[in-house]
Amino acid sequence: MATGHPIVLPGETIDPSLIPSHPKNPLRLGPGLRHIPPTDIVPTVAGQLITNPAKNSMWIEYNSNRYIPTPSDLILTQILRSTTDAYLCLLSPHTAPATLPHLAFEGATKKTRPVLQPGQLVYARVALANKHMDAELECVSAATGKADGLGPVGNPAAGSGGCAFDVSLGFARRLLMARSRAEGGVGVLEMLAGEEGGGLAFETAVGRNGRVWVGSESARTVVLVGRALQETDRGGLGLEGQRRLVRRLVREMR
Amino acid sequence: MTATTAPKAALGVLPRSDGSAKYSHAGYTLTASVNGPIEAQRRDEHAYEAHVEVIVRPAAGVGGTRERHLESLLQSSLAQLILVKNFPRSLIQVVLQIEDSPENDYVNTKLVQASLNFAIMPALVQTAILALLSAGVPMRATATATAVAVVHQDGAKKMVVDPSPREVETASSVHVLAFTSHNGLLLAESEGDFTVGEWDDVYETAKEICCRSTPAKEGTAMVLDDEEPSATDMRQFLRSTMESKVAADLHWK
Repeated sequence: MATGHPIVLPGETIDPSLIPSHPKNPLRLGPGLRHIPPTDIVPTVAGQLITNPAKNSMWIEYNSNRYIPTPSDLILTQILRSTTDAYLCLLSPHTAPATLPHLAFEGATKKTRPVLQPGQLVYARVALANKHMDAELECVSAATGKADGLGPVGNPAAGSGGCAFDVSLGFARRLLMARSRAEGGVGVLEMLAGEEGGGLAFETAVGRNGRVWVGSESARTVVLVGRALQETDRGGLGLEGQRRLVRRLVREMR
Repeated sequence: MTATTAPKAALGVLPRSDGSAKYSHAGYTLTASVNGPIEAQRRDEHAYEAHVEVIVRPAAGVGGTRERHLESLLQSSLAQLILVKNFPRSLIQVVLQIEDSPENDYVNTKLVQASLNFAIMPALVQTAILALLSAGVPMRATATATAVAVVHQDGAKKMVVDPSPREVETASSVHVLAFTSHNGLLLAESEGDFTVGEWDDVYETAKEICCRSTPAKEGTAMVLDDEEPSATDMRQFLRSTMESKVAADLHWK
């Protein structure tokens, strides 16, 4: 492992030479680090310490299964039930439900608001996450009033319900990267839609909470894409492994 | 069976839990699963911190008073390590399943209600810590633990690290000590007759195993060669286990 990105365990001291020091920008601490005033920066999870001198930020890169809500994360959630002014949504199993206000949709007013049934999947953004309160979600950008792709996904009544698949949080993060193939090493979706997969037609919504929704006209495609994603995650496949997996799955499905 | 073998561990063995670990050392094999932070039951809910629940399941039968005792010891130790204030009103659940324990060569024991003793404590602590690390639960520090028995043999006093069941039986006292990665004493439980001087010796022996500063320098290695080679470096073991797990998780980097 390169000495530039050491592996750290909780409570270990970080070599001061690794902490970025920028003359103007304040130091930004990402996930897995905590600041003990006045001077200590201590990791709280086991992972790899990554620093970005340009942005003067540092964080711990690790993989886990339990999602902890963080503001402005994009997540895929399921409606549990509706209260007078908000929907209660499930972010991850066995955790307290998050609230999604009825008015947090594009163009929603007190008279016209979307009616969502329990079980409906919704692609949303975490608006507020505080350890003492349940998380709050939104499906509209507060600045522009536009949905920007957020909102209910899949329409079971129209026969295009699609399906949600569970993946690890680290894999979801890689899928959400702007250049997931180059930076995250995931090309499985591109391959399925491209030459290796024979040009399958499908759409996806990746939630940072480790859930991926796959929708398509054909149920076969949904299952194939979902399986490809899960096997890539669990098997820890590289790009070449993903290509072989896609070829095998497509051949089996024929 | 009673030989002091090197510890072995595998992480993420249970796919549906948030974190899990399988650990075997000194004849004991355990599997642990960690789930959390999840929603706590109303009676366990605490307004300002997470409730840490520890469940110890014996290899056979259901747990009894002894298991409850071990659970309470583990619970208070782990709650010190986990950053419980980060997750108010939630629950962090640690389940430890004992799979195998060393047999006593002298007594014919049937696998009935397992009667636990302190010799299993280090394995419980280590497995729980590994499972918590595997789940990515935020922690203050890691910890390592060991058991030391004081055996009087032929008029001489002997320290036995990771004692076998026979040695536990014949020992005058058995001690379990756990240290955090900041060299703080986390847990100290003793059973039997011993003097303060003996306890100090036990403390030094345990500290040597749990808190050895990573790579032993030449000078210290020379001293160690004279001693019995049973002393495994628990901290180094923990680190190498986690290093391989993190490297596997971040293979795409």
